[in-house]
Amino acid sequence: MTPEDFERLQALMATRAGFRLTRDRMHLAEHRLGPIARREGFDGVQPMLEALWAKPVASLGWAVIEALLNSETWFRRDRAPFDSFSRELLPALGRARPGGLVRVWSAGCASGQEAYSLAMAALDMRAQVEVTATDLSSRAIDRARAGTYTGFEIQRGLSASTMLRWFTPQDDHWVARPELREAVRFQRANLLDEPGEGPRYDVIFCRHVLKDMEPTRRAAVIEALERRLVDDGCLFVGSDERLEGDSIAFRPVNGRKGLFVKSPSSQSRAA
Amino acid sequence: MDPRTCLIIDDSRIIRKVARRIVEGLGFEVDEAADGAEALAWCSSAMPDVVLLDWNMPVMDGLAFLRRLRALPGGEAPKILFCTVETSPERIAEALSAGADDYVMKPFDGEILQSKFAEVGAV
Repeated sequence: MTPEDFERLQALMATRAGFRLTRDRMHLAEHRLGPIARREGFDGVQPMLEALWAKPVASLGWAVIEALLNSETWFRRDRAPFDSFSRELLPALGRARPGGLVRVWSAGCASGQEAYSLAMAALDMRAQVEVTATDLSSRAIDRARAGTYTGFEIQRGLSASTMLRWFTPQDDHWVARPELREAVRFQRANLLDEPGEGPRYDVIFCRHVLKDMEPTRRAAVIEALERRLVDDGCLFVGSDERLEGDSIAFRPVNGRKGLFVKSPSSQSRAA
Repeated sequence: MDPRTCLIIDDSRIIRKVARRIVEGLGFEVDEAADGAEALAWCSSAMPDVVLLDWNMPVMDGLAFLRRLRALPGGEAPKILFCTVETSPERIAEALSAGADDYVMKPFDGEILQSKFAEVGAV
């Protein structure tokens, strides 16, 4: 991969995915694209990129984009946000909402661990919750929908008793039980696209997504999240992520790392 | 405050070495034992805060150790994490019902151990 190739990849990632492919990821990019080149029938990364630049094909372009996204995720990553969700938000929202129905969105769900963590909490409490999970990568969505994890993945964030309760072993992997898989609706979606119509969410988890985005795209994405959230809803981002520099749509909640609510100005605008 | 202690019980010196490096990284002072009997001797003189426990070992296996430890005075206190190649749900359930706080399936890595230590409230 030449420096020019990498710059074109950076531009591709920025325009289509809003993803900031930093220079330190050059080796990682080369490493990740090897298997894509083989799968797509090319004799290496270089011929694949040359073909892509000569005649951009959407399917090949997206295969490349998906391979370069940061898909790292855990069950109950950082724990505290998930405890806040199950111990405080779910009971309060369940009481406040008509019929007790709580709508939750896992935005940028990668292979689905976050969405399943939220669904397990809801099922454990017998709360009425609709979990929607979206990701830019259709491969990630396929993986998430299958709910199949390696021994390494299943142990990152799950206790053994929770694992036994919700997953069954199959060929060296652990597969989510049908009732857990059915509790989450997975669909491919790009956070850069105009949000569609539909009911707004009570809680949005969009963790470790914004930090990888192009700074110039962050504000629009944050404001789109704000439009999809009810006025008294909550947004969780990564514990070390901040929104204040990009948008005034949200304000941080004191003492809760990564938890944001709508700022008064966005609430009055929405009203 | 005294540093928190972890006893690593495994008949494989390599596993003990790998686990020690990770657990020390979590801020623990580490002792090692190669089987359950040696480990019980450790525990009767100084009860560790956390025990990382293999299942199949010579002399005294992990499950026998776990039951004997829990019967000792103060033996309820340590957080016990089984750490073995056994991955069948029946064996995992057996270990948990015998008094293990959590269960690590080998192979593991630093992120998994850290996650499991957090799960039982040890870090």
